[in-house]
Amino acid sequence: MLRIGLLGFGKMGRMRFKAARFLRGATVVAVADSSRRALEAARRAGVPASYEDYRELLASPAVDAVIITLPNFMHEEAISEAARAGKHVFVEKPLARSDDECARIAEAVESAGVSAMVGHNYRCFPSVKRLKRSLDSGALGDIVLSTFEIVDGPLAPSLESRPVPDWYMNSQLMGPWLLDLGYHVIDLFRWFFGDARVLHAYLDRRYGFPHEDNAAVLLESSGGAKGTVHAGWFSKLIFPSFDFRVILHGTAGFASTDQYTPANLKLHAAVEAAKNVLRRGTGRRIRPLSYTFYYPSYVEELQQFVDSIREGVPPPVTIGDGWETVRIIEEIYRTATLSPALRELAASAQRELVVPAERM
Amino acid sequence: MSPTTTRRQGPTVALARTHGPLDGDGIKEAVYRALDLLDHSPPARPQTVAIKPNLRFYWDYSTGETTDPRVVAAVIDYVRERWNPQARISVVETDASAMRTRHAFPMLGYDRLAAEKGVELVNLSEDEMLEREVNVGRRSISLPLPRTLHEVDLFISCPKLKVGPYAGGNALHITCTLKNLYGCIGKRRKVVYHPHVNEVIVAVNKQLRPHLHVVDGIVALGSRPARLGLIIAGTDAVDVDSVAARVVGYNPARVKHIRLAEREDVGTRRGLVTLGEDIRALARAFPKRSQLGFKLTWRLQLALLRTYARLTGDAIPPALD
Repeated sequence: MLRIGLLGFGKMGRMRFKAARFLRGATVVAVADSSRRALEAARRAGVPASYEDYRELLASPAVDAVIITLPNFMHEEAISEAARAGKHVFVEKPLARSDDECARIAEAVESAGVSAMVGHNYRCFPSVKRLKRSLDSGALGDIVLSTFEIVDGPLAPSLESRPVPDWYMNSQLMGPWLLDLGYHVIDLFRWFFGDARVLHAYLDRRYGFPHEDNAAVLLESSGGAKGTVHAGWFSKLIFPSFDFRVILHGTAGFASTDQYTPANLKLHAAVEAAKNVLRRGTGRRIRPLSYTFYYPSYVEELQQFVDSIREGVPPPVTIGDGWETVRIIEEIYRTATLSPALRELAASAQRELVVPAERM
Repeated sequence: MSPTTTRRQGPTVALARTHGPLDGDGIKEAVYRALDLLDHSPPARPQTVAIKPNLRFYWDYSTGETTDPRVVAAVIDYVRERWNPQARISVVETDASAMRTRHAFPMLGYDRLAAEKGVELVNLSEDEMLEREVNVGRRSISLPLPRTLHEVDLFISCPKLKVGPYAGGNALHITCTLKNLYGCIGKRRKVVYHPHVNEVIVAVNKQLRPHLHVVDGIVALGSRPARLGLIIAGTDAVDVDSVAARVVGYNPARVKHIRLAEREDVGTRRGLVTLGEDIRALARAFPKRSQLGFKLTWRLQLALLRTYARLTGDAIPPALD
């Protein structure tokens, strides 16, 4: 049985913890979080050991692997320390905030010889998997044009009455804004077509964030597939509504994730719940969280991580995958055209930097 | 339509709609027309003015959830033009369970408003709090309320016209000016008040009495956002909420917090005169939402989900837990 330690018991930590309950061959034995309230919640949930400092968890010989769900600015240090402590690592996306951080992480993981996987759970969405199968089968021919759209983010809160954490609203701590939602769809473009280069990018803001909150990006693969990426943080859609889709236009046909997404989410939930009741009633394993159409992805990719360690094979999403996605995002920022609103914001930030210098 | 200048006896609520596009000029014209119809003057030349919009989470005016900063801008202009050009004006809000004012002000365009109009943005959660007990029905309620709002010369409430929210099992039917003052409570985790939300709303309104209410119904929220282009103005919170309730399709006598507020002498609907737009026409344009249906189906869904999770051992995502 693989013994897992969970670093961070915030929103994603709790989601991963719930998902880990259903893992075959692994169990969560420890949680680390600097918040006493979070640790109390972990204890109430039945986690045997809890630590205020994740370094203490990493020092424990009773932990074989860690799931890291800490804020982005802590990823590099936590991954590197976990690797040096000989723990296998699963890290919530994004891998890190910059190309440089990714390079140092890759070096630490390679020197330690541990297994490391980045959580790109959108690859495990049922609708995405079906689209990928359709693409790989050749049924669509060669893809010429495609669309990758995602609009969600901090304006689409869960039902919990908690504020969005401060680090999430701070671009120094979170990293470039596209690391949030844009990361998912850029990774999907790469996964679908092998690689990506940036042809054009336009960044704008609708809300008063201190950074962009919507982006239109045109990517191209070396095979010639082009994809428009639309990412935004401006919608107040609330669960289970979810503004995400991929559309592929090929020489032999077209397909979209919408075709494979339940049209009526409540009906889907009812049918899947009934199936699980039947499974439980007949002594079979349930399909956890299948009544939602995307939460099973969290269970599935954690199982992939556990299986890869047990079988001694590389995980399906490597540090290299996460690194390449971060690199493309940096390329987007290097080449992007800024909207007038963002240019004004940048000029104002520049003035604030210059004024104190002039006073010296 | 030219503004009525005759001073009327008894409580009055004025309704005005924008003509043409919902831009800053159109909104300003509607705010001025509503306030001119109301024909209200503050008792003295106000030196300090606090304007309380309704900022909920980080959703802007286009969603129908929060007060349009252009409405607040028009109110600021009106105060300066008509009552005191030198008035020191603050736009005030407090933190809430899932919202931090320091983020909401810039996110929702209030930083820009403050810079353009030369007003101060104040997070009242950082203010000194005064706490005293008041009775609402048989319940004794003590709430931390900002000193600033007790001491300001002119207090203006600028709520949003919307139905809901669903607060801890209590469907509020309508969120307007009485509920806007709930947002003045100095405690961040206001969810703790949800079990007795109607009584708490009335308790705040018994202590803080805005001199003027200017309701933003430019984009109102029912079953969906609706561009009504409406401004409602009045000086009595119960009157204003009663008119707003009729616009969104409810009988005010059946809205618990309005009924309770009237019983507790926060205001009265007796002798109410409405001026300007026809309420029935507005009610026809408003996209109504069945609170009862929403409340029942939501509770039923959560109950079913929990039963299912118990039966099968499946998990509930944190978003629903």
